[in-house]
Parts: sequence; C-alpha cells; structure tokens
Amino acid sequence: MRALILRRLLTAIPMLLLVLLASFALMRFAPGGPFDGERPLAPETRAALEASYGLNLPMGEQFALFLRRTLTGDFGPSLVYRDFTVTQLIADSLPVSLTLGGLAIVLALVLGLAAGTVAALRPGGWADETLMLAATIVTALPSFVTGPLLALIFGLWLGLLPVGGLGESLASAPQYWVMPVIALALPVAGAIAKLARAGLAAALAQEHIRTARARGLSTAAIIERHALRPALVPVVSYLGPAAAGLLTGAVVIETVFALPGLGRYFVQGALNRDYPLIMAVILLYAALIIAFNLVADLLYGWLDPRSRA
Amino acid sequence: MRRIALPAAIVALVVLAALLLPVLLPWSHDAIDWDHVRAPARSPGHWLGTDELGRDRLARLAVASRITLLVALAAALVSMIVGIAWGMVAGWAGGRVDEAMMRIVDALYALPFMFIVIVLMVVFGRSILLVFVGIGLVEWLTMARIVRGQVMTLRHRPFVLAAQASGAPAGVILWRHILPNIAGVALAYLTLTLPGIIMIESFLSFLGLGVQEPLTSLGILVKEGADDMDVEPMGLLVPGGVMVTLLVCLTLIGERLRDRFA
Repeated sequence: MRALILRRLLTAIPMLLLVLLASFALMRFAPGGPFDGERPLAPETRAALEASYGLNLPMGEQFALFLRRTLTGDFGPSLVYRDFTVTQLIADSLPVSLTLGGLAIVLALVLGLAAGTVAALRPGGWADETLMLAATIVTALPSFVTGPLLALIFGLWLGLLPVGGLGESLASAPQYWVMPVIALALPVAGAIAKLARAGLAAALAQEHIRTARARGLSTAAIIERHALRPALVPVVSYLGPAAAGLLTGAVVIETVFALPGLGRYFVQGALNRDYPLIMAVILLYAALIIAFNLVADLLYGWLDPRSRA
Repeated sequence: MRRIALPAAIVALVVLAALLLPVLLPWSHDAIDWDHVRAPARSPGHWLGTDELGRDRLARLAVASRITLLVALAAALVSMIVGIAWGMVAGWAGGRVDEAMMRIVDALYALPFMFIVIVLMVVFGRSILLVFVGIGLVEWLTMARIVRGQVMTLRHRPFVLAAQASGAPAGVILWRHILPNIAGVALAYLTLTLPGIIMIESFLSFLGLGVQEPLTSLGILVKEGADDMDVEPMGLLVPGGVMVTLLVCLTLIGERLRDRFA
C-alpha cells in the first residue's frame, strides 16, 4: 500500500511539471503581450518595463524564475484586477469553490448511492426502471440549464431561495448554497447512481451472496458485509472524471449564481486575457484533478486487493 | 424497437422543425421588427414573441437548433472516424503498438480538456474551428476504447482467421470483416457522442466563447434567456426545453442501442 502511494506521488510530479511548462510556454508565446496598448510604447520605455519584469532574460532563466515563484505561491499581479495579486484573488475565491465542490460531491454520493442501491435490489422492477430513467435524465441535464431554471422557479417565482450571491458564511446563511450545490450535484449523482446500480446488481448475482442468503442473513447485512465493497469499485474509479466534471460545472454555476469562486475568475480571466490569473487557475485545477485521481486510486486499492500488486 | 421509437420520433420532429422553420417563417433569425420589440409570446406574427432587439424568437430558436445540431453531427462524425481508425489499428496491431496507443488515450482522458479549449480560445482568438478542434480532441477517446475492445475479441474468431489464412491483407480484413461487425456498437456510441458534443458547444457558447453573433446556438439562447428571465421567463424556458429534450432523447436512444448491441 505504501509503495502504491509513493509510486502515484512520484508520477504526479512530472505531470505537474509538464503542466507548468505548457502554461509557461503558452503565456510567453501567446500573441498580444501585457504591454501592447493602443499606442506603441517608446522602445526604451518598453525595454525598461521588460527588464523590470525579467522578460529580457534568456528563456531558461525566465522559466527557472517562473518555477521558483510558482512553487512559493507567487503568481504575480493580475493584469485586469490591478490592485490585487493573483495569489490574493485565489486565496479569496478558493474556499468558495472548495465548499461548493465538496458539498456537491457529498450530495451526489449520497443521492447516487441511495438510488443505485434501491434500484439494484430488484433489477427490472418498477423502482429500478423509474430511478434509472431519472438518472439518465439528470445526467443529460446541463448545469447551465438547471442552474437558471432552479433560480427561476425557486428564486423568482416561489421566492424561497436567494437567486445569487453569498451570505455571511455557510453556517449563518446556508440558503445561498442550496441551489448551486443541487445544480452542480445532479449530473454527477445520476452517473454515480448508474454505476452503483450496475456494480451492486452484479455483486448481488454472485454465488457467495446466494450462500449468504441461504444462511439466513438479512438483505441489509448482505449488502453491508459482502456486496457493497466490490460494488463501489466502479463508483470510485469514476471519481477522477467526476472531479473534472465538477470543476467544469462549477465554472457555469458560479457564473449563474454570482458566487465569487475560482471558476468565475477563470471565465473573467479568459474573456479579458488575464494570463497570470488563467495560468494560476489552470495549475490549481490540474493539481486538484491529480489529487482527486490519487485519492481515487488509493480508495481503489483499499476496495480491491487485487489492484494493489 | 419500441423503446427507441418515441425518443427517435421526438428528435426527428426537432430536426424537421429546425430545417423547415427558417424557410417557412417570414422573419430571419437576425431581422429586426422595429414595431414589435419585446413582443410577448403568442402575439400576431411572432408565436414566441420577440427578444429585446425585436428579433423573432421562433426564427432564432430554429436557426439555433440547426447550428447546434450541425456542429454536433459534424464533430460526431469526425470523432467517430478518428476513434474507429485508432481503435481498429490498436486492437489489430496488439502488443507494444496497442500499449502505446492506449496510453495516449488514457493521458488525453486525464486532461481537463474544457480548460485547455478555453485557454486555446483565449490565446488564438475565438473561432468555431477551435470549438471543433476542442471537441474532436476528446470525443473520439471513448469510441477508440470501445472499438479496440471489439476488435480484440473479433480477431480470433474463425471467420477472421480464415480470411487471414487465405492471404487477405490486413486492410481488407479490417474493412470487410471487422468493420461491419463493429458498426452496430459504433452507431450506438455515435448517438451517445451527440449529447456530449451539444453540451460542450453550448457550454462554450454560454460563456461567450463558442458560436459568435450574428450566428446563434441553443447555448447562446439559454444564456440570453437566463440574463433576461425576470422579465420574460419564456426566453429561458423554451430554448432550455428544446435543448433538454434533445439531450435526454439522444441519450436514451444511445443507451438503448448500446444495451442492444453490447
């Protein structure tokens, strides 16, 4: 188990380095630099500006500098939000995004596993058919339709929930989080429900389960002790892609519900060509996805002893 | 066929409407009716009313569906061809070649491709071509995996061995004997690719990075409707409804075809 963790961590390092190199290259060779304005600068002004930002150094040294700064968490000033460093912007917005994503994945797991388990108990029964149809429908619903739709129904028409923004904190104003979390969680919940149903139905059809039934164990005990672990394997291996899906969905949800999270800065940065901001967000996203895949791999190894070799 | 007929009929209806309505309606999607700006739904001449610029909502909806469907179909066909070719070569070659080709697929799977597409758009400017590149980059991966698996099981079947023994070249075997046998599965996954592509295109358009004015797509209409929903909720409900209907029906058709063939 320790060897597995070590190996995974070691493969994550070159991946992160590659992302760093790619983002550096993109930033340096993209057309349109930060000093290209309406009026061309005098050559000496331009040279002075470039020298002050270290842009006149050889490429290798620039990359080393970029690497050192990035590793110490210094992404430089934002090109658009002039008074803020990128690090400040991220420090303010990351907690919002992490809370949103964390709540969404917990909700998706709870809903998905519950629906999948109920459906798997009687394959082909009416509960199975209904739940799986519902799972297909919510999986096909894009967050940029469900988000505004929820806001329209529960925010504008029924007036039950605020349509956007953020309260003081999650604990004191949870109503601000209800719709964003639901809209973000639904597609993932649908996918998890299908995987859990397939895994559990396959596990329950095995012979040792029949033996357990013959010994008189209750269905709950059978699922808990014998069927759940193997059934969770496909769900866990979906967690990596699910993380990527949640991050993508969060970009839309944060825009729709005006949440000051990472995704909204990413869209703003993309529309404004704020390179330092985009690169920092991309690096964070890459790190998050790698971390999520790592967690999924470790859980996988715990659930399925055969994969530890 | 019973379980596929209903969603297929609904999709056919949407496609038909998207094709015919722009021809039949007196308004084009970007024509402005100065006398009826922000007309409500069911007003004379404008069934769904007009938007804040006086453009007929029904005409815009039809053209948007047309473009969304066109992008989806073109991108799906490209991704199908690439995916089938990649999967067939990998599955047939086996060994190291297979290993290397499938590692590439795994690596691409792990990328947060949506962000890469967005960054590419920022760097190279927004264009519909990049939307295609971005979609093409990722949507062939599943197809390649499926096809490879199919080829691996087919290649040891007696009729393939017989063709090999009779001296048929690999290209002929793949084309004549393998391809017809994976066509069903490929078709099922093609149907499942369509909703994925529609979502990507709409996602980009929603953020203002995809299809650009004066053209329009369902994602743009949903975005416009969402910005404006406190005044005219139909602007969100109608295009959103069309999109969700398309996505759900296509997913249902794809899943049911897949269950049949796989």
